[in-house]
Amino acid sequence: MKYAKVYAEDVQVGSEMPPLAKSPIQQIQLTRYAGASGDFNPIHQDAAFAKAAGMGDVFAHGMLSMGFVAQSVTDWLGVGSVRKIGVRFAAIVRLGDVVTCRGKVVAKRPPKNGDGTYLVDLDLWAENQKGEKVITGKAVAVLPSRT
Amino acid sequence: MPIQINTAVKSKEYPPYSVTVERGKIKEFARAIGDLSPFYLDDEVAKAGPWGDIIAPPTFPITFRDEQADTGALLRDLGVEIGRLLHGEQEFEHFKPIRPGRTYLCRRRITDIYEKAGKSGPMAFVVQEATVTDSDNDIVAVMRQTTVVRL
Repeated sequence: MKYAKVYAEDVQVGSEMPPLAKSPIQQIQLTRYAGASGDFNPIHQDAAFAKAAGMGDVFAHGMLSMGFVAQSVTDWLGVGSVRKIGVRFAAIVRLGDVVTCRGKVVAKRPPKNGDGTYLVDLDLWAENQKGEKVITGKAVAVLPSRT
Repeated sequence: MPIQINTAVKSKEYPPYSVTVERGKIKEFARAIGDLSPFYLDDEVAKAGPWGDIIAPPTFPITFRDEQADTGALLRDLGVEIGRLLHGEQEFEHFKPIRPGRTYLCRRRITDIYEKAGKSGPMAFVVQEATVTDSDNDIVAVMRQTTVVRL
């Protein structure tokens, strides 16, 4: 983890985000996330329920994976830098899956109206251990200038 | 045989509700994700940081729930069971940091409902938007959520 301040001059279009590989998904993490988020959908907790619902087995909250993706951005560009983040949940994340978050800079917009901050546009995605994309998304981060 | 959902709730606005952000809830949420940044977890480090206190992670506003405007309410409105729901898309826009001890007002509404054929059968897409304002009436965050209903 890195908490040093990143400046707009430190990233360029094409700069790649350091990948964030999370620990394998365990049931206990889904239970903790349910409690922390208030999402108690039994489909993430109860295998019999998930099976009856046609999903085969429990699977991770999409929002947990989105939390990983948001962390990958803030680990890189700093807590508080995320101005906007949006994702599409492309595939189910199952127990035992290892989610790795990746991204790159696609645009850097200079300051407007004397505001000294740059806006940095990111393409983001997360993949499982098979390399399948489980999330695709975009973010806008605010970065200060050194000058 | 696909089920029918109640599309009449398109553009429904839910009653505004307030939430007070608890310090421990921010920490519990960050730990559940496994994000151990001291700006979420460490009061002392955060005190010396840019905000003078801990702040919430970017996806934290998902915890801003209310019985009158939560998933249960949506299920009742649509007339479907929870096992049919999938999270399709989610977006957060942030304008001010979310801080412990503050009370925020949430206004949630259904902005669109549409149906289309998915890989595994017909699906309905329910789009909701929630605006979070603070006691200065400034917009702090906007959440947009697409819920997929397997019909």
